[in-house]
Amino acid sequence: MTVTQVQPPARHRVLVRERGVLEALEQAAAEDRARHHLALYYRALTGKVCSLIPYDGGANPWERADTEAEVWLPAQAPLDEHFEFTSGQFFQVAMTHRAMHERFGSFRLDLERDEPLFRRLRPADTSDPGVPALERLAGLFGHSALGVHMFATCEDIRIDAATARLFPGLAGPLRAVQHGALHDRPETSVLSPRAAAIEALIRFSLGSSKVLAPHQLEPTIEQIVAIARLLRDPLSTVESSVEAALRICHLLIEQPDDGMHRTVRELRFADLDGDAEAMSPLDMATLPSRMAGADGLGPWYHHVRYRDWPGPRYVGVGEGDLSLADVLDLAARRAEGQGEVAPGPDAGDDDLLDIEGEERPPAEEKPQEESRPDGRPADSGMTLPPPTSDAPDLVWEPALRATGRREFTYPEWDRFAERVRPDHTLVRLLTAPANSSEHDHFEVLARYGDIVSRLVRAIERISPQSTAATRRTSTGDDLDLDATIDAMIDMRLKAEPSDHLYTDLRRPRREVAVAFAIDLSGSTALWLPPDAVNPGVPIQRILDLQRDAVSLVAEALNRVGDSFGIYGFSGTGRENVRLSVVKDIEERLTPVVWRRLGSMVPDDTTRIGAVIRHLTHRLQQIDAATKILVVVTDGRPFDVDYGQKYQKEYGREAEFDYAVADTAHALAESRSRAVNPLLITVDPYGENYLAPVCDPHEYHVIGDPQDLPEALADIYLAVRRATMGRPTAAAAMPPVRRA
Amino acid sequence: MTSTRLRHADEPFYLPVRDEVELFSAAYEQRIPVLLKGPTGCGKTRFVEHMAWRLFGNRPDAPAEPLVTVSCHDDLTSADLVGRYLLSGEGTTWLDGPLTKAVRTGALCYLDEVVEARKDTTVILHALTDHRRMLPIERLGTTVQAHDDFLLVISYNPGYQVATKDLKPSTRQRFMAIDFDYPASDLETQIIAHEAELDETRAGQLAFLGEQLRRLGEAGVIDGPGTRLLVHVGELMVKGIAPRRACEAGLVQALSDESDVQRAIIDVVSAIFPE
Repeated sequence: MTVTQVQPPARHRVLVRERGVLEALEQAAAEDRARHHLALYYRALTGKVCSLIPYDGGANPWERADTEAEVWLPAQAPLDEHFEFTSGQFFQVAMTHRAMHERFGSFRLDLERDEPLFRRLRPADTSDPGVPALERLAGLFGHSALGVHMFATCEDIRIDAATARLFPGLAGPLRAVQHGALHDRPETSVLSPRAAAIEALIRFSLGSSKVLAPHQLEPTIEQIVAIARLLRDPLSTVESSVEAALRICHLLIEQPDDGMHRTVRELRFADLDGDAEAMSPLDMATLPSRMAGADGLGPWYHHVRYRDWPGPRYVGVGEGDLSLADVLDLAARRAEGQGEVAPGPDAGDDDLLDIEGEERPPAEEKPQEESRPDGRPADSGMTLPPPTSDAPDLVWEPALRATGRREFTYPEWDRFAERVRPDHTLVRLLTAPANSSEHDHFEVLARYGDIVSRLVRAIERISPQSTAATRRTSTGDDLDLDATIDAMIDMRLKAEPSDHLYTDLRRPRREVAVAFAIDLSGSTALWLPPDAVNPGVPIQRILDLQRDAVSLVAEALNRVGDSFGIYGFSGTGRENVRLSVVKDIEERLTPVVWRRLGSMVPDDTTRIGAVIRHLTHRLQQIDAATKILVVVTDGRPFDVDYGQKYQKEYGREAEFDYAVADTAHALAESRSRAVNPLLITVDPYGENYLAPVCDPHEYHVIGDPQDLPEALADIYLAVRRATMGRPTAAAAMPPVRRA
Repeated sequence: MTSTRLRHADEPFYLPVRDEVELFSAAYEQRIPVLLKGPTGCGKTRFVEHMAWRLFGNRPDAPAEPLVTVSCHDDLTSADLVGRYLLSGEGTTWLDGPLTKAVRTGALCYLDEVVEARKDTTVILHALTDHRRMLPIERLGTTVQAHDDFLLVISYNPGYQVATKDLKPSTRQRFMAIDFDYPASDLETQIIAHEAELDETRAGQLAFLGEQLRRLGEAGVIDGPGTRLLVHVGELMVKGIAPRRACEAGLVQALSDESDVQRAIIDVVSAIFPE
């Protein structure tokens, strides 16, 4: 039976679709969390930031080599019922392996540095000292992919041995993952002699105790194992891997890369006792010419999935998605003096232009590129049920239910139906990640410091602080004379005296609570032109300016004692309005708040109405005489299902009208609940669509986003003045309109 | 407030990281007030206890309470430090605060996390920390001249305090500063082994764990674990709690409430400890 044969009742269809959406959302959220926690794990081990990029099993391995800032991992762990590791352990092993490359200097090679395990066979390096050592490394192997692969394999052996020593808790999972990888290895009996020898090395690197090999290869494998075994010594360095790879390549290149020996027998690695030093410097001198043109690993090769794939980093070239062959070609051209002078780590993009001949888009435009026309992220992994215009309204837009303590449902104003739709939006609270540094905040303070001090002075002028004496308290600075006399009288009358004997001199708490909501829609990723007035100020995105503006006002509020909360909002549809809590109104200000603020990134859509309703609800829970809600946005409200259903009937503008009308309605609701709402937009066209529906005192249009920090401070000050003694008098303040 | 009675046999364990013992001793000889800067749990308080023992432990004329420690908080007032009148059956009586007591008796007065205290509190320190070395007590209408052996020591954690709670230059410039950081791994291993009475292997693993997690601290993701926290975990292990469980209870929960960060920390713990 299939769904198309027997249709369930309409309500059930809704539930099925809802469940699908929720499951997809939960899965996407779980994947996000997994990526985040693995990135933090990597950062703990290396101190470096990385982006995790999952790849599926069919991806081209050449295009998934790690870079300085990107770590590629299989999308799924290769699990099998016979394997004794979990998915989490697989990823932990894989991340540790990559982290240990950083820690043990795989990419900090110095070809002239001594190493303690091998007799030096590296030829003296006479190339241009400006060329990075890793790039010169390729020259030792005739710029062949085989050489780089063998160097990478030697590094894998060294790194895995060091990992097991350094992380005893990971030794078991590492062995299990390696054991699992051995199940995936090709039969040596169908490989060429050279490939069979490489396969023997790979199996040795994975901790196998034996290999099936033709007897003709035994002396070669014996020597290879003797060389590789040294790399497990705690004293081995990245230069040891160079020496090992040179010796191994010398042995491999002597073996034919075609034909095969069909008769094999078991070789136990423990029984092998080869000589790691049976080569001469002369052998190495001729190695580049003998290896030039040697093919890399052929299609027989099965990549070990927990290990990274050698790419540009292994030959000292900057980031990029070039194949190793391209990179080696580039390295060869440089070595011959035909290319540009060696790049620093940041110069990789220029090299890519030389080879690809096509311009790469600037990185900062990436968030927008990744957005699909429907505004949803390309990798969201979720499928929303398509609205069908012929279905009854309530079938595809049922009331929503909150299922956790961090979920809230709110109504929405439907201007075309002219009614409030109850429980129409679901707001989910998230704790904003704190993977930035609070120093960003201090830099903003340094850049705009005068705004903060000016605002503090102005607020203190309109609401001067004085020391208020609270009398008859149980603790305090001085005895309260009246209370003391009363107590003395009580004692002499044998009555029990009160212990409220003191006068407490404290600064009165301010009576203002403010909630700032920052728009995190995808469009806030837009980069602004350089500031002509202050050329020293770095180029910023709209989000950066929004964040700077809020952090400045928040800093001033903290200094004068106004309580405040900071929230970022985005979402994808009415059942997923995401509100990231940077600082709750009742949360104490700690450095982590600035870290969270600095970690906010452009996300998705802008369903402002639901955000205003939730923060109004939150402010209502706060005991303060004056409550202010400040929404900072960069454009008109938009969501994937924010009035689109009326387009067929009322035209393309219906979606726009619906969203703006709901926003205006939410502002009015907020006002009616004794909250002073302010909508501040940097959309120069904001006046056109806000003026007809909003109270003119509740929205402010800032034509040039660069003015936002100063304008927000001015607006806040104006609303504070207007609300002095009149909790809901924000409407008395003059609106701000800046061209 | 806590007061410390020190006997010669009770040497507080402290392993010098650099020249802080010599610096503090020299400052004491010259009666220069001392400011200790450093992250949470890196050993500032223990250092002061150790120095009090060094300075007073052998002296027969040492005050009964040679070290007076005050943990400052945002409700701490000058009256809490200087003293206040109390009501008794016979009338009112004056009770010295911890600072006044130390000034009178010639003890070390250690104000821990001083910037947490209310701003008016630091002002009363000014006359004590320059050549006058005296404490005016407004409510008594008197001034107390500091005992010759008295020294004021304050501490704060510049990474933790927000900019608005920084010390004012007029206060800061009255002190000689000693900068503290977490001890190097081998030194921290010795400290953990001694304090928790833990074997060297597991103490070394805990020190290594601290080293890894402090990278997240440097990145601003968490406040890196102090040595004190690692010692607590070691003490749980000594009592038979399995290392992973001890870390989870004593460290993971203390460092972060965010599930992603907790999972990352648990991964580091599980990589280092087999069980």
